[in-house]
Order: sequence, then C-alpha cells, then structure tokens
Amino acid sequence: MSLLTVRDIHTYYGESHILEGVSLSVDRGEVVALVGRNGVGKTTTLRSILQLSPPRSGRVTFDGSELTGLDTHAVAQAGIGWIPEDRRIFDQLTVAENLRVALPPSTETADGLSVAYETFPALQEHQDRDGGDLSGGQQQMLAVARGLIGDNELLLIDEPSEGLAPLIVERVGRALARAAESSTILLVEQNLGLALDLADRFYVLDTGKIVDSGSTAGLSADSDRFRRYVSA
Amino acid sequence: MIEQGVLLYTDALASFFTPEALVSVLFDGLAKASLYVMIASGLTLVFGLMGVLNFAHGSLTMFGAYLGGLVLVLIVGGSPTDPVALGGFFLAVVVVFGALGLLGGVLEWGLIRPIYDRPPLYQILLTFGLALILDELARIVVSFYGIQPIASWQAALSTKPAILGRTYDLGPTSLPGLELFQIGFGLLTVGFIWAFLTQTRYGLYVRAGSQDAEMARALGINVRRVFTVIFALGTGLAGLAGLLLAWDQAWGASVPLAAETLLPAFVVVIIGGLGTVRGTVVASVLVGMVDAITTWWFNEAITFTGLPEMFLFLILVIVLALKPQGLYGVSEVGGH
Repeated sequence: MSLLTVRDIHTYYGESHILEGVSLSVDRGEVVALVGRNGVGKTTTLRSILQLSPPRSGRVTFDGSELTGLDTHAVAQAGIGWIPEDRRIFDQLTVAENLRVALPPSTETADGLSVAYETFPALQEHQDRDGGDLSGGQQQMLAVARGLIGDNELLLIDEPSEGLAPLIVERVGRALARAAESSTILLVEQNLGLALDLADRFYVLDTGKIVDSGSTAGLSADSDRFRRYVSA
Repeated sequence: MIEQGVLLYTDALASFFTPEALVSVLFDGLAKASLYVMIASGLTLVFGLMGVLNFAHGSLTMFGAYLGGLVLVLIVGGSPTDPVALGGFFLAVVVVFGALGLLGGVLEWGLIRPIYDRPPLYQILLTFGLALILDELARIVVSFYGIQPIASWQAALSTKPAILGRTYDLGPTSLPGLELFQIGFGLLTVGFIWAFLTQTRYGLYVRAGSQDAEMARALGINVRRVFTVIFALGTGLAGLAGLLLAWDQAWGASVPLAAETLLPAFVVVIIGGLGTVRGTVVASVLVGMVDAITTWWFNEAITFTGLPEMFLFLILVIVLALKPQGLYGVSEVGGH
C-alpha cells in the first residue's frame, strides 16, 4: 500500500480550476519528483495534500487515513512535513527558535537542533540572529533544516534550489540526498538534474493534469520525454 | 502682573528641580505607567498577535473591576486588616484572571472566530456592539443591587488595606503605598507577558502563528487554539487592570470606567506602535512620565487640572506626525 495516495483531486482558486483530476502515489521510502513548467499546478498539488488549498473533490489518503477535510495542523501532526517554495521563515524569530518551533513536543530541543546544525553548520553560527536577517541561501538552509528535524514520515519539498547560488544548491542537494535515505519525499523541482539525481520515479504535470509518469532510471534532464512539458 | 507671573513660574521651576519633587514625580510617573501598561497590554497582545482591534477591551476592564471588587467586598468586608485584604486581593487576581480569561475564550470562539476572514470593519463593529451590550449589562446589574453605576464603588475602595493607604519615606520624599503596589504589579505583569512569549513553547507558537499562521499550521500548530488562548490572555489582563483600579481613588469600579480606560489604552497602543508589546511598555512609561510631570505643574504652578489629559493626546499627535507607525510599529500585524 502506498504511503500517500492522491486520487482525482480538483482544486480551485476562486473560480479558476487549477488541478483537473490529479492522481499520484508515493510509496514508503521512495523519492518521487513532480515536474512541469511554472504555473501548471505543482505547488497547488502540495498545498492540496496539506489541505492549505483543500480540493473540492477527490481524495487524499496518508498511511491509509483520510486527510481530506482535516485542518492543516492535523495533517502535519499525522507526519507530513513541508519545505515551501518561498522558504516562509519566521522573520522575527531567531534561527534557533525557527528550528524549535518545528520540533515535536516529544523531541528534546538539544537533540533536534544538533541534527540541524550537523546538516548545516552555518546555521549554528547564526543561531541567535533573526531569520529575517539571513541571506537567501541561509534562509533556504534554515527552511530545509526545519523540514528535516520534524518527526515526518513524508516530506513535501517545493523548489528547494530556486534562486540559489550553485554552492548552496550543492549543499541543499547533499542534505536532501541524506534525508532521502531515511524519509519518503515528494519533490517539486525545476532543476531537472537535481530532481533526477534524487528521485526514483517522476510525474509530469501540465495545465493541472498528470501527462506522464515513470521511473527515472536511465533518464536524463535533456530527455525528449521532458523537453515537451518541462523546458520553458 | 507679568513680573508676578514670571516670579511664580521661576519659583515653581525651582521647586520642581528639588530632589523631593523629582523623586515624587518619578514614582508617580512609574505608577501611572504601570496602570497604563496594565490597561493596554491585553489590547496590544490581541491586536499584535491576532490583528483584532477589540473595542470591548475597556468594558472587560470594567467587568474586572466589578468582579474583583465583589471578591474583595465578600472576603474583606468593611474593616480590612492588612493580611486579609492582601490575601483577598491575590485571590481576586486568580478569580478575575480566570473568569475574564474564560469569558474571552468563549467570545473569541463564539463570535470573533467566524469573522476572521471578513474585512476588519466586521471585527470593529462586532466588538463595538459587544462593548455596548457589556456596558448596559453592567449598568443593569449594579443598579439592581443598589450600587450607583456612574460613581466609583465605595465598598470596593474601602477594602484597600491600611498598608497601601499609608505613605512611605523613600530618600528625600515620601510615597503613597498604593503607587508602590501598582508599580510592583505592573512590573510583574510585564515580566509575566515577556516570560510567556519568550520562555515557553506555547509563547513560541504564539509568535510563530502571529507572523505566518499558514506556515505555523503546516508545522503542526493548532493556530485557532493559539488565538483563543491569546484572546483569553488579553481579556484576563484587561480584568486584572480593572481589579488594580478598583482600589485607586482616581479611578474606582464604575460603568464609565470602560470608556475611561479604553481611550488611554488606545493612545498608549498607538504611540507604542500597533501591536508591539515592547512599544506598549515604552509608550506607557513615556505617557506616565509626561502625565506625572504635567500633573505636578498644573497642580503646583497653574491650577487647571484638566490639562494633563490634554498632554496625553498631544504626545499622540506629535508621535503620529513624526512616526505614523508609532515608536516600534510595523506595517502589518496579525497572523491570520
């Protein structure tokens, strides 16, 4: 049985029909990439799973339990973490507080923070600075670390490399590869090279519909299979 | 005539800069600042963290004054001994904070939560209407029990212990016990709010939820419950402010206390910057000090007791002209 199953969801923003019957599944231990051009509904798919933009119809199940209709905090408590596209750092909380807020109450603060600081040592140097005072790359590291230290069975990761310098992309990529060894991940990523390096399977989304899917084995970023739907 | 006036002001200036007058004005200012911070802290918490402008805040302060007064009258009676009166006060703290906090929680859950997604005007109209209802309810109830609603409740005032009615020598001057008590209570309140927001996990959730409610929810925080707790905390603090005023001859428990406290609360919150606790503390000290200084001047040099209140609004105008967002204000508040 899949850990996450999305079945024929239809999501709207006002009267705009964004997702038109999206279905996908993620098995336990897998990394699945969701790729496609800008504005085709990738982020909306993640928001629909989290019930931040609840689908009007269709079903989302996680580990056999229905998520549709739950409040987002209950979805998160079920074991789904989110690393959003625009980082969403709490600007007026320090780096350490941004991390502490993501820790489950049962986790010792010191243990949780040490995991984050091992992954990104730069965060420890800035632990008392406000999140809003960090550079874009540091904020991205903080966002990824915040997602990794939660007690999550499934991570929804949205464009982790967007707008970052190559050196930071490499560090974030290494952290995600390490996370992939122990977590299940649904990854939205424009950087096809990074997505294919990490993912076991992929889905291609185009104008609110899944148009292709399969294993990433043997595929490269410039494959004809992607060129039609992913290249700008 | 003009020479006489100049002489009067020169004499007043000389007596203002004596150690006795300066220490007296300093402590008077701190006592007023404590009252302002008590009155305004609940309002600023609710606005800063939730974005809700609560026009019923003054009415909840008035409820706190009457409820606290009732506890004091029942326990202490007409002939207060110091231990019984102080014990009664701290019992009243628990009762008022608990009851007003519960009332606030119910109001947020039942009335305010359903209109979070509507424009701010809905919240303003709702809380304004709520203030009218609470004020009329208080007027009916106190009149029914034979208490004059527009005058201070003397039975509650008379429960003040002798220890707070005396004056105490402090360096070059002597200070009223009630002022020292108000300063101590104000400091405790500020310390409590600071500790709650910065030293507890729930306080961390509150600050995260107020900055970005959606992200906080995605991290597993029940933001709705957090907002209910904050509203309850805000109304509980409003009630405690009322309790503190029930012993103060200048205020006392009365129905008009609702409007009398709402206005300075808004002035302090606006001067400090809408929704910042630090701004409210600084603005309370600023307003309290200016109030104490002008009160001294208009009592000692110019007999015109209404003028100190005018200065409160003058500070508001000056701050808004120079810094429209207030001393520590930010452009956007509230996390939902």
